[in-house]
Amino acid sequence: MINFLKQVGNYTKETIQAAKYIGQGLSVTFDHMRRRPVTVQYPYQKLIPSERFRGRIHFEFDKCIACEVCVRVCPINLPVVDWSFNKATKKKELATYSIDFGVCIFCGNCVEYCPTNCLSMTEEYELAVYERHELNYDSVALGRLPYKVTDDPMVTPLREFAYLPSGVMNPHDLPAGSRRAGKTPAEIIEAIQEAQKSST
Amino acid sequence: MNSGIDLQGTFIESLKGLGLPAGAAKAVWMPLPMLIVLVGSTVAVLIAVWMERKISAAAQQRIGPEYIGPLGILAPLADGLKLVFKEDIIPAKADPLLFTLGPMIAVVPVFLSFLIVPFGQNLLISDVGMGIFLWIALSSVVPIGLLMAGYASNNKYSLLGGLRAAAQSLAYEIPLALAVMAIVMMSNSLSTVDIVQQQSGYGLLGWNIWRQPVGFVIFVISALAECERTPFDLPEAEEELVAGYQTEYAGMKFALFYLGSYVNLTLSALLVAVLYLGGWESPISVSVISQLTGVSENTPWLEVLDGAIGILMTLTKTYALVFFTVLLRWTIPRVRIDQLLNLGWKFLLPVALVNLLATAGLKLAFPIAFGG
Repeated sequence: MINFLKQVGNYTKETIQAAKYIGQGLSVTFDHMRRRPVTVQYPYQKLIPSERFRGRIHFEFDKCIACEVCVRVCPINLPVVDWSFNKATKKKELATYSIDFGVCIFCGNCVEYCPTNCLSMTEEYELAVYERHELNYDSVALGRLPYKVTDDPMVTPLREFAYLPSGVMNPHDLPAGSRRAGKTPAEIIEAIQEAQKSST
Repeated sequence: MNSGIDLQGTFIESLKGLGLPAGAAKAVWMPLPMLIVLVGSTVAVLIAVWMERKISAAAQQRIGPEYIGPLGILAPLADGLKLVFKEDIIPAKADPLLFTLGPMIAVVPVFLSFLIVPFGQNLLISDVGMGIFLWIALSSVVPIGLLMAGYASNNKYSLLGGLRAAAQSLAYEIPLALAVMAIVMMSNSLSTVDIVQQQSGYGLLGWNIWRQPVGFVIFVISALAECERTPFDLPEAEEELVAGYQTEYAGMKFALFYLGSYVNLTLSALLVAVLYLGGWESPISVSVISQLTGVSENTPWLEVLDGAIGILMTLTKTYALVFFTVLLRWTIPRVRIDQLLNLGWKFLLPVALVNLLATAGLKLAFPIAFGG
């Protein structure tokens, strides 16, 4: 009899505990509704790409010396460099240059190794096309500069997480002129130069 | 007791004044409340779907539908419109008759149950003497439709879903009925209007939830299981059964299932409001207002106000409960089939029986508080 009562007691205790846990869970879900969504509503709002963003590659035709270093450092030898040797001037003359962004993995090796800095990474990432061959950019297409998100009147630019003031989690409704946490690269360089000046 | 506005009587009288015989006037009246309730319940479903989507989004820190109408209020309408225009497919090896009959049988009883849902003293289609019993009887027809749909689809997921729906409904019908029986015992009537009137008079304190807290919990859990809402949505558990008995359905037939499940949800919430939360009774009753302002209770504008407040109160309570179910959906994970049946047969059923027994004992001991 006592054993049975004990069992009943244990069962009741478990039931009450289960109800308590469900209540706790409900309060968590309820609390979540208070939080504002951090959704970036894409075509109308866009994140500002960071300085080191590796987007579509930009190419400056006139700077290129057709050395083919970019081809050698590329994991799949992707850039197509079409040049011919001009015997009169004893120099390579570049005819065309192209990169197929359907195959490129945006590793940035070509940009890193280019001796004349004619390759660079842009912040463009909207590369949708109707046919995959359209992704094969020739030297003209590679030479175009992307439209900046901050210059687009149709788009509300939003800062990425690392560019928000310290403690702020949400890029929406930032007060004007709010700074990112920590120093900017320019300020760090300035501080180093100050330190060097004072030491010498 | 003030009987409130009598729309039917006034309507028939005015038609008689136009020269119609009494029988014809009544025949003109009859389809009107049915039509209003049918349209009203469909609109209620649209609101419930919208709430579900918006609250789910808020609980997950998303935005949810936003551009389809103001705040995405037209999103459920767009869903429905899409389903109406989709092709109606009957799988080649399915049983066409049962496949078509299934969704109908699943939906019609749910809409029929709105017959007994009161929004005010006279604001219901029909004050059936055994109202709440009619609802219990009708709600047990639904799993037959689900089983039919699952069997006719010629698909093992559908069959499993249909069987699960039937097992679940069977298991939870009994505690549901027992919880209702305790209420009925207290109000000495099966009629929903009488049940609400028995709760009136003491404002918030008169509600059945204070006298039947255990019954309330049992009823809510069982109603959730009857509606196949999470945590009891095993019949359509998408991780296991694709979509259960709905797997082979498309177009309007799928829309019927979808509509039926949400109508069932709002209906259950309405009935929880009626049975436990005082139905159309507001915390401050209209008789108090009339005493304070010195206006007679039979003044037309006060009666209209009374009716409006009644509908508003019922809907507020209902949607508060719908909100609770949506919150619950994102809080509790789905139970297993054995856990579901254990909870139904081994926990809710004995507790409901004990609750019924205790109510009977309390009714004998304190006839004033427990409706002797």
